[in-house]
Amino acid sequence: MQQLVRTDLGIEPAILVEIYRQMSRIRAVDKAIQAGLSGGKFLFSYWPMTGQESIPATISQLISSRDYMVTTYRGIHDQVAKGVSLAGLFSEALGRMDGVNKGKGGSPHISDPSSGSMLTTAIVGAGAPIANGLALAAKMRSEDRITIVNFGDGATSIGAVHEAMNLAGVWKLPVIFLCQNNLIGEYTPIPDYTASKDFASRAAGYGFKGVKLDANDVPAFYQGMKQVVAEVRRGEGPIFVEAVTMRLGPHAGVGDSKEVSAEVLKAAKEAWPVPRIRAQLLESGICTEQQLTQIDEAAREEVEQAMAKAQTSKPTPREETLIDVYADPSVPPRRGHYPRREAETTPVPTGGKPILMLDAIRDAQDLALTQDKGVFLLGEDIGDPPGGVFATSKGLRTKHGPERVRITPIAETAIIGAGIGAALGGMRPVAEIMFNDFAGVCMDQIFNHAAKQRYMSGSATHVPMTIRMMVGGGTGGFGAQHSQSLEAWLLHTPGLKVTFPSTPFDAKGLLLSCIFDEDPCVQLESIKMLRGARGEAPAGDYRIPLGVAKVRREGTDITAVTYGWQVQECLAAAEELQKEGISLEVIDLRTLVPLDYHRVLESVKKTRRALVVHAATEFCGFGGELASTISEELFSTLKAPVGRFGADYAPIAYCRDIEIDQIPHAKSIAARVREVVAFK
Amino acid sequence: MTTQLTIPRLEMSMTEGVLAEWLVADGVQVKEGDPIYSIETGKSIQEIQAPASGRLTQKAQAGETYDVGTEIGEIV
Repeated sequence: MQQLVRTDLGIEPAILVEIYRQMSRIRAVDKAIQAGLSGGKFLFSYWPMTGQESIPATISQLISSRDYMVTTYRGIHDQVAKGVSLAGLFSEALGRMDGVNKGKGGSPHISDPSSGSMLTTAIVGAGAPIANGLALAAKMRSEDRITIVNFGDGATSIGAVHEAMNLAGVWKLPVIFLCQNNLIGEYTPIPDYTASKDFASRAAGYGFKGVKLDANDVPAFYQGMKQVVAEVRRGEGPIFVEAVTMRLGPHAGVGDSKEVSAEVLKAAKEAWPVPRIRAQLLESGICTEQQLTQIDEAAREEVEQAMAKAQTSKPTPREETLIDVYADPSVPPRRGHYPRREAETTPVPTGGKPILMLDAIRDAQDLALTQDKGVFLLGEDIGDPPGGVFATSKGLRTKHGPERVRITPIAETAIIGAGIGAALGGMRPVAEIMFNDFAGVCMDQIFNHAAKQRYMSGSATHVPMTIRMMVGGGTGGFGAQHSQSLEAWLLHTPGLKVTFPSTPFDAKGLLLSCIFDEDPCVQLESIKMLRGARGEAPAGDYRIPLGVAKVRREGTDITAVTYGWQVQECLAAAEELQKEGISLEVIDLRTLVPLDYHRVLESVKKTRRALVVHAATEFCGFGGELASTISEELFSTLKAPVGRFGADYAPIAYCRDIEIDQIPHAKSIAARVREVVAFK
Repeated sequence: MTTQLTIPRLEMSMTEGVLAEWLVADGVQVKEGDPIYSIETGKSIQEIQAPASGRLTQKAQAGETYDVGTEIGEIV
């Protein structure tokens, strides 16, 4: 007898079956994880998505693996529907070598470019700025991919999401902000953390469309999303989707939600699409019970096999610790390992016209933009005029166009996030952060995302981006929030490379190396030197290898280990000390990570005394690290304890008399050198 | 196949739990998904479902506190 098939469901029956198949797979994964955790079969942190299965299951019918996805730690359902291999996913959650990310990211940090799952963050809201970058990469290359960034309703409160929405609006990016509104932000339900009536209406404030859809009504959700995906794919700009659902589980762990009442939970379970769609498929005659059982059994078997495979995979061993921090495993500093890296082969130029450091930096960016279509600049006020507040990009927007020299809102989190995302998408972004001090407003993107992404993804992805930050100090008048040298923050974060040039020649050669490096690099540029340092920097491309220090002045009595604008101060001190018969060797680190301990130790072996000098606050500064290693390695050779000299432990003062003296300068450096040399 | 029952980590901060009550007797057949014991952590009590079907053997007394990961029984 022929079954009567209902066709008035508002969705093609075959698509509804496929959505159910994905929901069944997600449900099987969720059940297996919860059973394993509660049975004690394994232990890992789990943030259940029970109740939210219909969202990615539906979207899976509208996108392909070419489309990018960013999601959160409560995102296993997103990964399953996006097509991440279940064996790879389980192995990852168990911390095994066969995990999609070698067990280094774990369940909250899945990256699987082969399925388009590009990044998973455990920092609420932080995925949104990165999604912009992925969408930007696709847009700049005229690809028809879209990017979907998933986050919970809880993320709508955080600044990163707002900055990202504003930038996506102004750049008309092909990105869908997919808010899976499960009505609870971790442990706090909606009326307790926002007065907003809904989230979709916020998009209008940023100049683009927002829609609110009931994710529990699968046919209607499908039709709504179909339109959203089509519009975004056509390049009509971003759309914010508020997909209303319900989280049936707790924030973390297993079982039922403890955050809602029994009545609310009961109603939510009745509205839950997984059993409801199954019943509907049966009732409408689209599937027989046998067919549905087959779908469920296939999902269960797929999960069982994947779980069995994961449990036999090798736990990621200790030897993997320093692998995937950088592309090159010799970069992480290690006690007793001081590799000698080859210095630049470019001969020191002679006879060229001296140029300002800002022109050398501008030249490097111009060259990179000309050489590689993947390079682009982004930052505040970098267009013409003014060509960057310090004129380091003057004329570049005019020459290379607004697509490749992109002016941004005053929103550092959005800037760095866009850079990270674009780098994940294969571009080589160069972001300008006007002052080093502003690292504070984008630090999460720098140290939790740019720095860690290679490691957390087991090198499945990497972030070849460059961040240029201008550093105040020594000029007077910028005040406490525009004068700090915060390199220690960056150096304390594994995964970043940091350069700090002291000459126009180095500024150009180091920046070109950074831009074409495969890891995230931060170049610190002294404001005092941008206009204050003049020197030769030949035209054309040349590179200064990262991790090679340079002796600026040879001496025999003591080595000053320094970098950035303090190099000039040390050289001036050396002149003064020479008159007294003290011979000061000045070594310029140029790159702070990778660090050239080899040449530092060679120099101190010769002089048998050392003073580390930097503009940053002395206490807990980089000097402590350098002094300690020099002491440990050369203890028996040293004639005096290694000295440190940095800024006084106070905010940088606005008043000139204090500022000029609270940071090391030629006179005070000479005085510290005398103290070290006088040690008996 | 033997499935070990150990005290699960139900929340990120959980290090130990009280095995509040066995909900099935020692030695009986259970089906995957049946509630088999309840556990008390902090303020909440949660029922734990059988991760597999089979005969349940109890190996720990109810009413005691156990560290996460402690074996409390098995299903064969």
